Amino acid sequence: MASVSFRNVQKTYGGKVKVLHGISFDISDGEFVVLVGPSGCGKSTLLRMLAGLEDITGGEIAIDDKVVNDLESKDRDIAMVFQSYALYPHMTVRENMGFSLRLRKADAKLTAERVDNAARILNLGPLLDRHPRELSGGQRQRVAMGRAIVRDPKVFLFDEPLSNLDAKLRVAMRAEIKALHQRLKTTTVYVTHDQIEAMTMADRIVVMHDGIIEQIGTPLDLFDEPGNLFVAQFIGSPAMNVLPGIVERESGGAMSVLAQGQRWPILGTTPATPGQKVHYGIRPGDMTLADHGVRAEVVVVEPTGAETELLLKVSPEHDAENLVMVMHGRTQAQPGDVVHLAIDVAKTHVFDSHSGQRLG
Amino acid sequence: MSKGITLKKVATEAKLLLIGIPLFLWTIIPVYHLFLFSISERDSATSGRLWPKDPTLQNFNFVFHQKHFYLDHFWLQMWNSVVIAVAVAAITLFVATSAAFAISRLKVRGGRTVLNLALFTYFIPAAFLAVPMYKTMGNYGLLNNQWALILAMVTIASPYCIWVLKQASDKLPWELDEAARIDGATPLQLFRLVYLPLMVPSLVAVGTYALLLAWNEYLYAFLLLSNDKSVTLSVALGNFLSADDSPWELLMTTGLIYALPPAAIYYAFKRYMVGGLTAGAVKS
Repeated sequence: MASVSFRNVQKTYGGKVKVLHGISFDISDGEFVVLVGPSGCGKSTLLRMLAGLEDITGGEIAIDDKVVNDLESKDRDIAMVFQSYALYPHMTVRENMGFSLRLRKADAKLTAERVDNAARILNLGPLLDRHPRELSGGQRQRVAMGRAIVRDPKVFLFDEPLSNLDAKLRVAMRAEIKALHQRLKTTTVYVTHDQIEAMTMADRIVVMHDGIIEQIGTPLDLFDEPGNLFVAQFIGSPAMNVLPGIVERESGGAMSVLAQGQRWPILGTTPATPGQKVHYGIRPGDMTLADHGVRAEVVVVEPTGAETELLLKVSPEHDAENLVMVMHGRTQAQPGDVVHLAIDVAKTHVFDSHSGQRLG
Repeated sequence: MSKGITLKKVATEAKLLLIGIPLFLWTIIPVYHLFLFSISERDSATSGRLWPKDPTLQNFNFVFHQKHFYLDHFWLQMWNSVVIAVAVAAITLFVATSAAFAISRLKVRGGRTVLNLALFTYFIPAAFLAVPMYKTMGNYGLLNNQWALILAMVTIASPYCIWVLKQASDKLPWELDEAARIDGATPLQLFRLVYLPLMVPSLVAVGTYALLLAWNEYLYAFLLLSNDKSVTLSVALGNFLSADDSPWELLMTTGLIYALPPAAIYYAFKRYMVGGLTAGAVKS
């Protein structure tokens, strides 16, 4: 187990294309950190630099306070699980899992012991003598994890390990990886583009975008208080509704945002000045149907059983800007009906339109 | 409906036969001729019959027991052919695999140039290089030494083999190398424990190619080797024609025997040949 530090880490390809612009953060011992962001944001590059598969252009990466910039992958004491599993096709599951120990010329008994132990943790016992081609996708992914466990490394690295699996299996494996981490308590860095994976698995999430860190925090911190527009729209599903508007101070002192021809309440403590251009954010679950409030027309009703998703048009004058709302239970509302929305003011978000940063 | 399909099938089959039968005859007639000679007696060999009046295996007896002036060293020459072909295959495999691994997996500097140069060697027909090669081997004092032929054939076979193996290497997923590196493999361990086992089909194909190339070589063998005891069987076969009155039936019998090992090898490794030599031919 170990801590990991990134200190102003930069990556440039061919001296021109800069993909990481100085990344700094620390991962503490035993933590499960997820790097998340859209494709091309540099998250995989960062992971590969930690793994020693990419050169570090600038800055330092340290594992347990020891700078590893110039260390070979094999000397960094890490194990990595790849998206494509990267199992050696000509070796059995047992040989795959024991390969790293074989390279270290480890004692055969110790190797067998470790492989058996990892196989027990992952329920791979009956598959040990099969070849990867005889396994299903989920089984292969488990073998890849087994290979990492056998190493007993300081840090586990996962590079989009679930992307090649079907939706159902992905959910199951997600839980499995999380349970594995809770059992082994090994420091883990996990890369994904799927914010649900990030939300469900991480102790802390690092949201990356265009080679910089947008925000670091626990899943619920990011959900409740996104630091900027990008994080607000990236984290959460369905995504947060964001409407461009202008701040107004009402006669009673209350503040609101004028957007789509309607008034949207915000906290009076919001550090915004009347007339300021802002983006108003409200999550689909933070609104309820009420007798009065923001007026909207129902466009589509999508019942999913426990919840109902409503697609609403808030401004009859404008044709764009639909609003998504999720309500518990069911509704009698039909497409074409006019409804009113009560908004949970405490859960509204305001971002400066120019900088995209959160206000308040 | 089903009748329509049947008709269509028949038409397709007929078209295939139309191409296939001439092609088959084209290929088989010379071979059959070879065979015919080998089971005919000396006098009746050129009789023009489709099947000899008195088929005989006596020619094989002559060849195997070296009972003719031209066949004095038959077994030795056969052995020479085997040794040289196997040596060429082994050395070519070593050279080409190392080169392909270095260029494709280790991405050594200048790899691209090496590949282009390798391709360039095929702009010049091997026959044009025969005399320079002869001179070079002379400079090294290797004339009439089997190493001269082995090295010459390795030189000729390697560029193509490097290309084929490079293309095949490129198809192996990168993550395997990365996983092995993280697992702690040195480049040599990566080569031995991961790369080679996965390249076996291509290696068989390329090895067979080099083997057959060396086995069938005449020109270079004729130039570089001169002693009756060191020449390959292909040169010995050519020597049959040095007399006015060549023993055709023995020449053909020896030729038939000489053609059998390649045929056997080809059939044994057929499944690798097709897959291996076209591997990387198209981008997938």
